Amino acid sequence: MGLIENLKTYSEESNLSEDKKELFNSFLSKGFPTNKDEEWKYTSLKKIVASDYNLNSNASDIDNNTIKKYSLGVKDKIVFLDGKLIYYPEIKGVKIFDYSEFECRNDDALNELNSALANNGYNLVVEKNIVVEHPIEVLFFNTTENGFSQYRNKIDIGENSEIKLVEKIQDLSNSSTLENHFTQINCDKNTKVEFNKIQNNTKESKLINCMNIYQEKDSTCEVNTLIFGGSFVRNNLNFEQNGSNCESNMNGISLLDGNQLADNHTFVDHKTAHCRSNEMYKGIYLGDSKGVFNGKIMVRKDAQKIDAFQSNNNLLLSESSTIDSKPQLEIYADDVKCSHGCTIGQLDEEALFYMRSRGIGVEEAKAVLTYAFASEVIEKITVPEIQFLTKKLIASKLNVDLDFSL
Amino acid sequence: MLKIKNLKVGIEDNQILKGINLEVNAGEIHAIMGPNGSGKSTLSSIIAGKEEYEVEEGSIDFDGEDLLELDPEERAHKGVFLSFQYPIEIPGISVSNFIKTSLTEKRKALGLNSLPTKDLLKMMREKMELLSIKKGYLSRNMNEGFSGGEKKRNEIFQMAMLEPKLAILDETDSGLDIDALKIVANGVNKLRSENNATVIITHYQRLLDHIVPDFVHVLYDGKIIKSGGKELALELEEKGYDWITKQSEE
Repeated sequence: MGLIENLKTYSEESNLSEDKKELFNSFLSKGFPTNKDEEWKYTSLKKIVASDYNLNSNASDIDNNTIKKYSLGVKDKIVFLDGKLIYYPEIKGVKIFDYSEFECRNDDALNELNSALANNGYNLVVEKNIVVEHPIEVLFFNTTENGFSQYRNKIDIGENSEIKLVEKIQDLSNSSTLENHFTQINCDKNTKVEFNKIQNNTKESKLINCMNIYQEKDSTCEVNTLIFGGSFVRNNLNFEQNGSNCESNMNGISLLDGNQLADNHTFVDHKTAHCRSNEMYKGIYLGDSKGVFNGKIMVRKDAQKIDAFQSNNNLLLSESSTIDSKPQLEIYADDVKCSHGCTIGQLDEEALFYMRSRGIGVEEAKAVLTYAFASEVIEKITVPEIQFLTKKLIASKLNVDLDFSL
Repeated sequence: MLKIKNLKVGIEDNQILKGINLEVNAGEIHAIMGPNGSGKSTLSSIIAGKEEYEVEEGSIDFDGEDLLELDPEERAHKGVFLSFQYPIEIPGISVSNFIKTSLTEKRKALGLNSLPTKDLLKMMREKMELLSIKKGYLSRNMNEGFSGGEKKRNEIFQMAMLEPKLAILDETDSGLDIDALKIVANGVNKLRSENNATVIITHYQRLLDHIVPDFVHVLYDGKIIKSGGKELALELEEKGYDWITKQSEE
């Protein structure tokens, strides 16, 4: 049958409103994107959507130990289980609600599918003048075998407020699952947001994660994307700057092996003058893994004095791993500073010998150099628990017993 | 400790070492001198285990073991240390992280537990003092942006931490000003014991004013053409390499 048929059956069984029916039909008329679509040229959904998925999720339980096992160990957690919001913290100045509908401006097929059929997610509102002291972790657990699930989340940050978030999707069914997430962040004036994505799901899990961020004057928003697990990950990260003195920062580490594929698509829309964006994505590829990076920077006509920087550096550590990297600059203003750089390389043989001569074994030396390559990104993360976890994941993925500390 | 017998080494079709014989015992300091291109650095690289060279003939025995059969890291675990002529920069790894990793891996290979961080830091501070290394240095990235002198001092610092049986100092004196040279020499002298040995590879006599060798060997065109006591270095300084190479050619 395939996912389209599963979705049709599901939509007929659901009591969709007229608006949603319209969205769903629009999705159907477009269908899932294919390699003919420029934005999906190097990443194929064909096999993924040819499989059947279970759209009716389990009603199951989860014990605290399981939550603890996959949690970062931070105090405040929002926990979802098979779509249901089962836990959220009480924090002064922060309101957390279950899913409520909202519209987004994207009209691509996957977003339409999400807005038509998603009925789970959270809405987090930070009031004005609140500095949320501790990072909040959002955990999405799935126990539904071969489940297809969608979440639709909205985060509103009030003026002069600050928050740090961590998002993690965890499959517990150990089957071939697909998730389609959409998250919108509205950053009001003079806000500061750090959003971390830890994408280290099970072997056969697949993820499409779209994030839209709207920034007002004097706001800074940083998104760190850390990809270690899952067979397929596609991230669409879109920033829109709507006021002066905005800063948008994106950092990423992809460390892949086997047949993993990770695709990071970023888009920064500089609509106003005197703003900045910084992008630093590092990819490390082993086995038959594949990376895709597509970074687009748009500077609109009146957006003068923009300072935009983008880099995508890659290490290919095996014969058969690949990376497709595509920077795109579209500049319509005449007084801007924009640059981009892309590198593809291997580990430095001289450095490997140097380390081996100091007693560090080959695999450990390679791991240290790989860590060194990624460390620039790790340093950007301000939550120590995430830094620690990232180091641990690098070591475990490279099969070495090192902690990269001191 | 180290016995090199009739060692012939080449790279691609060039023979660089043409039959080296050298014996170094515990407690000794040897200096190997020679003009540029005589094979000094090849000799040190081959002892440390660099892979692009081809050993055509001969053997290197280290404490009764065939050194040429061992990987570079195994040689380090057994106590061989090479101070690089051109130390490598590794951005993203702090000096302390690097040294901790190499010490931990060495201890692991020897069946020892890793040192508690507290003890490790204490040891680092002691060795830093020995080499007049300033605070803040440990958190700098490995050799990144270091001056020539700082890089060489960093090599000796690692040597002090790893406590090798056999240390080979490859042109450690080049790029050092006289103050740094004295500090490095002082460090090497203090680390000296009856149980370890040092091979100093150098072009100049200068370092040997501060680290007094027991033996001096002159390497020329892939062969040791003359060996003697410390006075040989002075003679070389005075008369130049020509004096001895002419003798050898005759």
